[in-house]
Amino acid sequence: MSRRYDSRTTIFSPDGRLYQVEYALEAISHAGTAIGILAKDGIVLAAERKVTSKLLEQDTSAEKLYILNDNMICAVAGMTADANILINYARQAAQRYLLTYNEDIPCEQLVRRLCDLKQGYTQHGGLRPFGVSFIYAGWDPQRQFQLYLSNPSGNYGGWKATSSGANHASAQSLLKQDYKEDCTLDEACAMAVKVLSKTMDSTKLSSDKIEFATVGQTKDGKIYHKLWTADEITALLKKHDLAKEDTSEEK
Amino acid sequence: MPSPFSINGGACVAMVGKDCVAIACDLRLGLQALTVSNNFPKIFQYGDHVFLGLTGLATDVTTVSDLFRYKVNMYRLREERHIAPRTFANLVSSSLYERRFGPWFVSPVVAGLEPKTGKPFICGFDSIGCIDFAKDFIVSGTATDQLFGMCESLWEPDLGPDELFETISQALLNAVDRDALSGWGAHVYIIEKDKVTKRLLKGRQD
Amino acid sequence: MRGPTILKATDDKTRQLNDHTLLAFSGEPGDTVQFAEYIQANSQLYSMRNESELSPSALAHFVRGELASSLRSRNPYSVNLLLGGVDPITNKPSLYWLDYLASLAKVPYAAHGYAQYYCLSLLDKHHNPNISLEEGLRLLKLCSDELKRRLPIDFKGLAVKAVTKDGIKAMPFDEDDKVVRDT
Repeated sequence: MSRRYDSRTTIFSPDGRLYQVEYALEAISHAGTAIGILAKDGIVLAAERKVTSKLLEQDTSAEKLYILNDNMICAVAGMTADANILINYARQAAQRYLLTYNEDIPCEQLVRRLCDLKQGYTQHGGLRPFGVSFIYAGWDPQRQFQLYLSNPSGNYGGWKATSSGANHASAQSLLKQDYKEDCTLDEACAMAVKVLSKTMDSTKLSSDKIEFATVGQTKDGKIYHKLWTADEITALLKKHDLAKEDTSEEK
Repeated sequence: MPSPFSINGGACVAMVGKDCVAIACDLRLGLQALTVSNNFPKIFQYGDHVFLGLTGLATDVTTVSDLFRYKVNMYRLREERHIAPRTFANLVSSSLYERRFGPWFVSPVVAGLEPKTGKPFICGFDSIGCIDFAKDFIVSGTATDQLFGMCESLWEPDLGPDELFETISQALLNAVDRDALSGWGAHVYIIEKDKVTKRLLKGRQD
Repeated sequence: MRGPTILKATDDKTRQLNDHTLLAFSGEPGDTVQFAEYIQANSQLYSMRNESELSPSALAHFVRGELASSLRSRNPYSVNLLLGGVDPITNKPSLYWLDYLASLAKVPYAAHGYAQYYCLSLLDKHHNPNISLEEGLRLLKLCSDELKRRLPIDFKGLAVKAVTKDGIKAMPFDEDDKVVRDT
């Protein structure tokens, strides 16, 4: 029965569902977990790296965390190849806004631009929708620090803490349990590694299995974003006693 | 009808020193003889060690500087590194030549330090992108003639950052005093490997 | 008040772009209103779409961009503009000067046309960065008097509007002048 309604992205099934969109959501739930936590003085994004191999070049670019512009970053859950297209689109949209108004694009507007594009593939057709969820972390002068989640249907929402990808249901309930209003960025980082350690397959983490990024504010009020280096992640894991023992099995 | 290059006025100069470069501009924005603003900087930063000075038609100074911000930001996001001055110079050149038959009325100057080696790099352009590489100094704007004179007499090889600051400042201030369309204060950047110093020179406000 | 050299004596050469930003214009009749209302419409569209207002700085750069692309089109707008506004977030006031070439400058005081030659020296002398609205109006009166004294034509006085953080309102100005504006 459903076969008749899931070959095209734009056709509702008799019970009012868009199968292709649901399949895309399904694809995302196999991807590595990504979480984002909003603190009072910043935002942390953390993501699980699925492809780990000692043959992989570790020092090359991040797999799941990307910079969108000077005050916004995002975490990807889903198909990285699809994400690259969307990220390039977002970067160009952000730069075009900067060119037009000489101001950075407000976070929600950028999220909405991407979601409008995603939505287009669920209505106007194309081969398939983008198989990506994003978690966005950003800052703008009107609404300060903000965290958003978007999915392949083109829906988005603002969150205090959110997750996407494999085990996102359990990650979400952990976040709900542990989230404290007005937590600091450091506490948010601690919470992020704790949640990741529980949702990932191995309880002990290592820097080649996760990626980490923060958005924050320096003392003189400037907004910065930082993709963490392997050493910084290792230090954080050690601090919270979640690091894998330093055995030389992998190296 | 005056030349579009000399409606708004302005001057810019870049100089090579020992392991450092300097770039400076005046701050005037005018409409022929009338001064409209004395806070119109003509130097823009596009990376740790990459600076662009733009003189000429004010509207094109803004348009072109904004356009390069767009292009350089996209470059940095794509390549995940800052643009090198030599790469940037070629970007400027090709972007200007794109408008070969309807040019931006600007005379750009690029100054910077090459990544890794830290070697000084300066160059100038005409409005359609022909690059003029130089080992000593580059001048542009309505005070070009005066700046050439000042630089020829003041500049010498291997000036340290402090001497270079003094040299470029004196060259610019004294050149613009002999040009009715430039002056009203100046910005001077001294670019060293681990430090960029920006100074505001008040200058004559008449 | 009409005659061979005057079509209207109370022409409002301003358009409100949003709650805290006002655009004043001079230049080619026709171009001016067309361009100003195009900017006004775009500003209002932005406010509706995004449930927030563009700051004066953002609007000034937007206007500049539109004017700059017009400059290199087949028939460019010849419009000179002043844009004044109060930033809705920081509550800081700012003034932008734009000419028909789309040169943009943020300035403490500005004028266009002959008024530049007659008024800028007065403004240079009497303006200070912390000037209040009342002092500003008194300074504007000096400018208006100077223009009446020196301009070779009767320009029918000034319409004055004040932009504050509470919004834009027309100000009583030069009430006692003897010029007949409306009959």
